[in-house]
This record gives sequence, structure tokens and C-alpha cells, in this order.
Amino acid sequence: MKPNKPWVPFLFAAPALMIFSFAVLVPLLATAGFSFVEWSGYGPWTFVGIDNYRELLTDALFAKSFLNVLFYIAATLVLEVFVGLCLAGLISVQRGGSLWFRVALFAPVMLPMVVVAVLWSFVYNPDFGLINAAFQNLGLDSWTRIWLGDPDTALWAISVVSGWVFSGFFMIIFYSALQQVPGELSESARLDGANEWRIFWSIKVPSIRNALEVGVLLCVTGGFQGFDLFFVLTNGGPYNSTEIPTTLLVRTVFRNADVGYGSAMAMVLTAVIIVVGLVFVRLRGWNQRKEVRA
Amino acid sequence: MMLKTRNTVVVAVFATAALALSACAAEGEGTSSAGSEETAASMTEGTLRVAMGSPGEAQIAVWDEVAAAYEAANPGMTVEMNYVDDDLYQTIGLPNLLSGRDAPDVYFEWAGSRLRERNDGGYAADVSEYVNGGVLSGIWADSAFSSGEIDGKYLLVPHKADVTNVLWYNVDIFDEVGISPPTTWEEMLETCDALNAAGYTPMATGNKDLWAAGNWLGHLSSRVVGEDVYDSALAQRSSFGDPEWVEAFGYIKEMVDRDCVNDSANAIADNEGAQLFFQGEAAMHPIGSWLVSWAIDEAPDLNFDYVNLPSMPGAGNQDSVIGVLTGYVINEKSELKDQAAAFLAMANNEEFVGKFITAEAVPLALSAANAELDARTAALNSMLGDSASIVGPPDTDYDLEVADAFYRAVAAVLGGVSTPEEAAANLAAEVD
Repeated sequence: MKPNKPWVPFLFAAPALMIFSFAVLVPLLATAGFSFVEWSGYGPWTFVGIDNYRELLTDALFAKSFLNVLFYIAATLVLEVFVGLCLAGLISVQRGGSLWFRVALFAPVMLPMVVVAVLWSFVYNPDFGLINAAFQNLGLDSWTRIWLGDPDTALWAISVVSGWVFSGFFMIIFYSALQQVPGELSESARLDGANEWRIFWSIKVPSIRNALEVGVLLCVTGGFQGFDLFFVLTNGGPYNSTEIPTTLLVRTVFRNADVGYGSAMAMVLTAVIIVVGLVFVRLRGWNQRKEVRA
Repeated sequence: MMLKTRNTVVVAVFATAALALSACAAEGEGTSSAGSEETAASMTEGTLRVAMGSPGEAQIAVWDEVAAAYEAANPGMTVEMNYVDDDLYQTIGLPNLLSGRDAPDVYFEWAGSRLRERNDGGYAADVSEYVNGGVLSGIWADSAFSSGEIDGKYLLVPHKADVTNVLWYNVDIFDEVGISPPTTWEEMLETCDALNAAGYTPMATGNKDLWAAGNWLGHLSSRVVGEDVYDSALAQRSSFGDPEWVEAFGYIKEMVDRDCVNDSANAIADNEGAQLFFQGEAAMHPIGSWLVSWAIDEAPDLNFDYVNLPSMPGAGNQDSVIGVLTGYVINEKSELKDQAAAFLAMANNEEFVGKFITAEAVPLALSAANAELDARTAALNSMLGDSASIVGPPDTDYDLEVADAFYRAVAAVLGGVSTPEEAAANLAAEVD
């Protein structure tokens, strides 16, 4: 049905568009503008054209920050999405008392990320932290590490914290989706002799594919947006081994007062996230068409 | 141990410190301005906003008293104190406040490149008229303003001069092990060996945020390469690729090889490093003069003292001190400049100077003369004042990007992931 007055839809959309413009579009355009200048955040700026972008191309640390965040995303896909899926499978099988498991596993999601980071900084503390103390008490002194101070373990350590927090979040998403899977399918499989393991992986998981895809998308885009854990636990260190684009960006803009270069970083990061999102949407559409054809 | 001493030369010391920090300005005393702050404060209504990094509970209490006293003396005026976490204030805190709608009228700042940056941004008012015959005259020796003087304008109302780094040591542990605080590099390494053998961590530092060991090792490097080379490299007039920097970084490696520093140095924050010292796990802790009040609060039983950085084999002045002058800037954009000046005058009158001293902060004001100071604080002030060579910390005296690169380079050597050659080459490539 077409509206009598063609401008009415725009009228209804106007508040949302205004908020979007104010909160997203204008800052994005401003950041794009800043990326072409050299500016400390104070006083006059100097127009430098695409120099900031040229410099980014040869900035090894910026490239490393993307490698680090890709590693982090890969790790969290396992530690958050996969573990969340397994936990959802476990609590969906064991019905009695699963509420307590759900609450316990979801609780970290409700904690502010900074609180989580401070808490885990004590856990990882090499001198009086929980993990090293546990190893020492078990006579496993050789297992102790400077978890956040060793380039080989720091990124893993942060990924584990991220997994501890968000596996519960994904568990709830997947658990909700699993509740929608018709019980008859599982019953039929059970009658055919399938065990719970087989039912979960061959029937339930394929049935919640949409939820899984959303989970992966959230994990990937959320990975690019990660900041607070990194900032509090390592601040990009040691030796840039946990430097990700957001921590590098904040350091560049707010510590080194290089607003122009930091804005160029922000634009590149935004472009990468958009491209990843688009690729994901394309892949999803391609998969759906493939399923329909099949 | 005698902890209190009457410091009758404190004024001269502070004046000399400021003189040395700026390497210029003639000494002189202004005229008395007793009561002038009251006449200068207008009766207009308004809110005077004051921002600073958190100076600790004791000093916050004094600042709150200053605010209350100012409000009582100036009906209609309200003082809004904003104490921001130190690290936050130094990075995003102050820029955010200054560019916000309710920007501070008065804010804490370090002398050096940061002050120049505020001046360039139009956030630093010239307080010369208040100093020369106004409400701020006669409170400090003229030389105290020299570090905050840019283009002939006084931009910084001086408050304190901090020694950025000395080597604090646990007297009881040293007595137990039977060693003396090191005064030379060789003694330093021998001290590390003795402490390691006794089961102590020789030195603890928390360098996660890079400045803690960065400043200490910056000072060490300046002793090796010489103050001129240190200054010119950080100011980007010469290269970190010069061979003396490899030599300087080599001493850091030597220290690491001898297990002088805690393994966790680059993984823990500065307060965690301090805790290792407070708890007696580490025998030495390189950090600034602010440790005195901190340790008295958190480890009242700790028996501690300090020595300056041991003399290094190198071209620098081996008695140099790393330090910085801090104070308060009146925002050029403020509409309450007169009130801000009167507030700062009140904060530095004899009554409040005495209270700041009780709170373990020693203002540079002339009225601090004859005050009873903690013996260590007094000695630190004397050291700063008597030193012929003051080295500026990288992050307050130089470009922040260069300072950041320098800190990362020394952290890499400290953590054993870069050789001195690699660190110097990488630093040169990044900065040059």
C-alpha cells in the first residue's frame, strides 16, 4: 500500500536519521576530514593530503596490530563461540539444575569489562597472582610464567579472559536457539540409535546455523572493536605483542597527540570492519542460495 | 632514625632548583603581597574550575581546604575541584577537559614541552601582570618562574619541583645483607649479586606503562651519552643511531644479565612495582620523590632511604639529577583569570604551604623556609637544588611521540627482546 503523502515515511524515519547523523555520520565525516591534516588536537592544523595514509602503508606497527587482532579473533572464535556452543549443548541436554549453570556462566558478561580486566590482572600477576601461586603450590614451578609480560603468552592470556567473559554470552544465544529445534528430530534420531553426541553435532547444530552465523559475525566484529581488556591488562605491550588497532589508535591520538594520523588509522579500521561485514553478508547469502538449490 | 629536619635553606634550594631547571633567570625577591589575594578577588559570582591529577588523599584534603577558604573569602564564588587519575590526566584527561564545555580555569601542568603545547593551543594565560606587582608577587623567588617562561611570558605558577627518579633502597635489607647503597656502576652490579645471593629481588620496577623504567633508564643513558647528546637526540637534532646510544643501552643489558631487575618489570604497573618494594620482596626501587608520602601511607614500618643514580662510565655529568618543575596554569580562555590568580595566591600563602608540607608536598613558595620536612624530602630538595645539571624526563620535556619511542626501546632492552644495537637502530629508524 502506498502512502497518500510520499513524505510521510521520511517524517517517521527522520528522528532515527537525525540520531544516526549526529552519532555516526558527522563524527565519521569529521574523522575523515582530520585524517587529511596534521594536528595535535590544539591550535591550527596543517593540510597534508594523503600523507597520513601513505605513512600507514609503511607503518609496520599498524600492520602488526592487524595481525594481532586477527589472532585474537581466531582465538576468540574458539574460546567464545565454540566453547559457548559446547556449553549450550551441555546445558540443553542436562535440564535439571541447568539454570544455575546458565547463571554462573553468564555472570561474567554482566561485569564491567574494566572490572574483569583488573580482576584478571591479579590472577595473572607474576609475583603474587593466583595462577603462578597455584603452580608453585603444586610443585610446578617450571610452569609459572610472566603471563602478561611474555610476548609468547600475553595475547593468549587476554584471549582466555575474553573467552571467560563471552562464552557465557554465546552460550545463552545458542541455548535459546537450541530450544527452538523441534524435539521430534532428536527423538527420531534417538530411535534410530544415535547417541547424544551425534544428535548434537548432526541435528541440533545444523538446525541453529543462523544463530551460529550471527555469533561468528558478532565475535569477528566485536574482536575488531576490542579495547578495554587490552588497555587495562597490557596497554599494547609487552613490546607491541598485544597492540591492536584500537589501542594503537588511542595511543596515537591521546598519548602522542597525533590526531591526523590517528584519524587515518580510524578510517582504515572502519573500512576494514565494513569490508569484513559485507564479505560476511555475501557469504551468508551465497550459502543460503546454495541451500535452496540443494 | 631522624625523619624530620628543619630546612632553613629550603627557599634557596628551591630557587636554585628552578634556576637550574631553566638554566636562566636572575634571582631576586619580590615585594610582600600579604592580603593582596583578598583585594584581587572580585565579588562576581561564578564557578572556578580547578583540574589536576590526583595528588593523593593528604594533598587532596589541603586543596579542598583551599577551595573552602576561597569560597568563604569570596561570597558568590564556587570552586569545583576535579581530581583525575594521574595516568588519565597526563594522557586523555586534560585535553578532554580543556576542549570540553566546562573547561578548567586552573589546571596542573609540567614545565617543558607540555606547557609549550598548551601555549600553542591557546590554553595558557600570561600571568606576568599578577607576578609583577599583582596578587602573585612576593610569593616565590623570581627564578621559580623561569622554567615556565615562554616567549617572555610567565605561563606556569610554580608549585613543586619533583625529582623524577632516584634509587630507593630498603635500609633493613641492606643492613641484613651487609652492603652499602651503590655509588658506582660496578658497585651497583655487585649489590645486585649480593642481593640475589641473599634471595631478594635487587630492584623492582613496574614498567607496563613504560614511563617508570623509561625515566630511570633515560637518566642512566644521559649519564653515559652526556646531557647534550641526550637532549639533542630527544629533541630530534641528532640521531639515536650514534654509537654512544648502543653503549648506553649496553649498560641496561648488563643490568638485565646480572638479574638486577624483577623479571616482571614490563608486565606490571608502577604501583605493583612499588608494592614489591613496600613488601620487602625487592631491596631497591627506582622512582621519584613522591614515593616518600606514598610509602609513609602504605608501608609505615618500611625503613627506606635513597641514593641518586650511581655514577656511570660515560660523558655525562655523574651528579646530574632528573627532575621537573610542576605548577598551575591559568586557562587563557577562562573568564575568571583574576579569580584564578587569587585562588593560586591563596593556595600558596603561608598557612596552606604549611599544610601542604604536612601532606608531604613541599611547595616552592618562599614561605616554605624554616618548615620541618621529612629528612628524605629535604635531602631530595637539596640534591635538586645543588645539582649543576638537571636532566628533563622524556615525556614532559620532549615530543611525546619521541618519548614514547624511546621508552619502548629501553623497555625492549630491559625485557631482553632487543639487543642494544637493535634497540638503538629501531629507535633511530622510528624517530629519525
